Amino acid sequence: MAGVMQVKDLRVSYTAGREILKGVSFDVAADDFLAIIGPSGAGKSTLIRCVNRLVEPTGGAIVFGGRDLLKLSEAEMRHERRNIGMIFQEFNLIERLSVIDNVLTGRLGYTGTWRSLFRMYTKEDIRNAVRLLDRVGLIEHLDKRADKLSGGQRQRVGIARALIQNPKMLLIDEPTSSLDPKIAREVMGLIREIACEFRVPVLCNIHDVDLALEFCTRVIGLQDGVKRFDGPPAEIDKHVLADIYAMEVL
Amino acid sequence: MAANADLSRYDAEVEKLAAWRARSRRVRYTIYFLIAALIAWSVEAIVVGDTDWSRITWASMLDTAKRFMAVDFTIFTNLLLPALETVLMATLGTLVGLVLAVPVAWLGAMNISPLGKATYGIGRLLMTLSRSVHEIVWGLIFVAAVGLGALAGVLAMGVRSIGFISKTVAEAIEDVNPGPVEAMRAVGANRFQILLFGILPQVIPVFVGNVIFEWDVNIRRSTIMGLVGAGGLGLALHRQMAAYNYGGIATVIIVILLLIIAGEIISYYARKAVI
Amino acid sequence: MSVATTSQTRALPEWRRFRFPQSLYKYGAVIGALAFIYWSLEMLRIDVERLPGMLGRMGEVLSERYWPPAVSHVLEAGYLQAVIDTFQMSYVATVVGMLIAIPLAWFGAYNMTPSRRFLYPVARVIVMTCRSVHEMIWTIVIVAIVGFGMLPGTLAMTLFCIGFAGKLLSEAVEAIRVGPVEAIRASGANEFQVFVFAVLPQVRVAWTGIAIYTWDVVFRAATVVGFFGAGGMGHFLRESVQRVESNQVAAILLSIVVIVMIAELVSAWIRSRIAGAIA
Repeated sequence: MAGVMQVKDLRVSYTAGREILKGVSFDVAADDFLAIIGPSGAGKSTLIRCVNRLVEPTGGAIVFGGRDLLKLSEAEMRHERRNIGMIFQEFNLIERLSVIDNVLTGRLGYTGTWRSLFRMYTKEDIRNAVRLLDRVGLIEHLDKRADKLSGGQRQRVGIARALIQNPKMLLIDEPTSSLDPKIAREVMGLIREIACEFRVPVLCNIHDVDLALEFCTRVIGLQDGVKRFDGPPAEIDKHVLADIYAMEVL
Repeated sequence: MAANADLSRYDAEVEKLAAWRARSRRVRYTIYFLIAALIAWSVEAIVVGDTDWSRITWASMLDTAKRFMAVDFTIFTNLLLPALETVLMATLGTLVGLVLAVPVAWLGAMNISPLGKATYGIGRLLMTLSRSVHEIVWGLIFVAAVGLGALAGVLAMGVRSIGFISKTVAEAIEDVNPGPVEAMRAVGANRFQILLFGILPQVIPVFVGNVIFEWDVNIRRSTIMGLVGAGGLGLALHRQMAAYNYGGIATVIIVILLLIIAGEIISYYARKAVI
Repeated sequence: MSVATTSQTRALPEWRRFRFPQSLYKYGAVIGALAFIYWSLEMLRIDVERLPGMLGRMGEVLSERYWPPAVSHVLEAGYLQAVIDTFQMSYVATVVGMLIAIPLAWFGAYNMTPSRRFLYPVARVIVMTCRSVHEMIWTIVIVAIVGFGMLPGTLAMTLFCIGFAGKLLSEAVEAIRVGPVEAIRASGANEFQVFVFAVLPQVRVAWTGIAIYTWDVVFRAATVVGFFGAGGMGHFLRESVQRVESNQVAAILLSIVVIVMIAELVSAWIRSRIAGAIA
């Protein structure tokens, strides 16, 4: 199957001399549910944020939809971000807005400045928002303020917001770290279901290895900015994990 | 003895510490002396140099105080309309202030200031200018510019209010949670949309709370705007002063106090409702 | 891939942003606010039609009558003395005011007041009264009682300082940690000792900052009190206004702005130095 994204020799350094990512390369296929695992400080969060350039890489290339994202201008990148949905560890909802208004902010990339000032989204957008909220099971909470929801509910709003963009890929940064274990499992299950349903590849940064192995189709192990493993979950065994997490001090 | 040998090792440190303490004590006492000297010099100038004590007698002061005590209640009903004017002036003034404070806060917040340090500096300068000039001075400036009447008072209070509102809002903007801002960048929103959805909703409680607080303060300012020609209770006060009606002056002051207390109560409950 | 292809077959609610009666309240509130503004403008006899040209007319008036400012006037010895007078008034008022405000702040702090039923309300009322009356009104009243000059100005500024600083000081006291207080109390100290040894060390930094900030604010007010009969720069301002010497007025106003900004810079500098030294 044709690849959706190719990351080539990605490098990032925040301060001169200290490289966070030291030349990471991998491909993402259309039916991939990619889990990125590794110890704290390995660069997982940075890697995810490089894809939609929330963090600026210092070297390499990211080919997505036939174009190198790192060569796009500010405005072009902004347009391209519409095709990449992102789900966050801390949910990052607009607390004061209602659930449905939060989901609709996913369409801001397609809405003009003037219309967005008055929150005049198209009827189609609103219909899709309702449908998505029904799909994630929050249809009774349409008008509730986001800060009145539980953690699991908030993450589901985040999922709906990412999907209303009609994305070609999903970036997920630790979706379950702020959730209880049982809810975490439900949310991961929901993400996988929806990713299959909408046929969207997922690039997911995850701390909990067991959870990762249970839901993903492929694993990338990162350690100290370097890719140490790239393969199916079945190949992950004690030795591989020891290798990836070797530096982690308990 | 072993103990003595050990302790003498620290003599150098103790010396240094004692010297430092002596020095900082000298510094402190010098500062206290300077403060006291300035006081003595100032008090001498005020009490001895400037005041004509022959004209100040207990008798004359008591006499004036008694005249203030004879509150003239007959003018009470005449003060209701000026009291309303005072409140309206304060309200409109606060409105003008909050509208003008928005762009100043935008300029003066480091993380969203359009041209970085340059515009940030301008924003901060405007905030400082607004707060440094006393409302009476603003009142005089606007009376000169637009003539006598309530408009001058409204504008003066508006310009004076910019400083506080924009400063607190700019500080709130600089302290926002970056998460929602990141999320708005990730969906492909443009700069304006990021501001509108990522930042603004987070600073609204601070903004509204401070506007209410400033409205309360403006009522206090509004009461004296009339002294420079802007209307309201200040004008009534001016008239009583011109007529040397001490009892009347006292009445106006009482009405002013009642108004301010009412304003404080309203503002206290309104701010609680917002938080 | 559109969301539509995965929709359920059951009917989903139609969601509209503006539903009755919420939208009625919202629109009603907006219209009410606009009506209020219009009514206020009428009540205050502000001529709305004249507003658009206002900026232009302001520019005209200011450039014709108030420009150029009579800089020579503010450089005269009399005026320079007035600047010094203003400084002296503000300085004494701040020091004396702070000395009075400190015990009032202690009594007026709900957590540390030695007597909640008597001293607390009394202290609060005193500070509130000083705050509520505008400093210019204090000036007018005290000038009437004592006469003209720097003394009434200083007295009025002292009352203003008590009101302004009293509130800030007691807020700082109400924010202290209770641990040291309990410790000192447990050793058998009386309330005054608790104040000196448990409260003062904790509020030292904040109080010093408040003192300097208060001086700054008092100084700004002191520049104007002369307008109502007290001494200082305000006195010259009133004279120029009454003689309709607009260029002098402009010069004095500008000098006030400049001096106040300088005072602000100085006080900000001192505050930053002190925060480092004391903390």
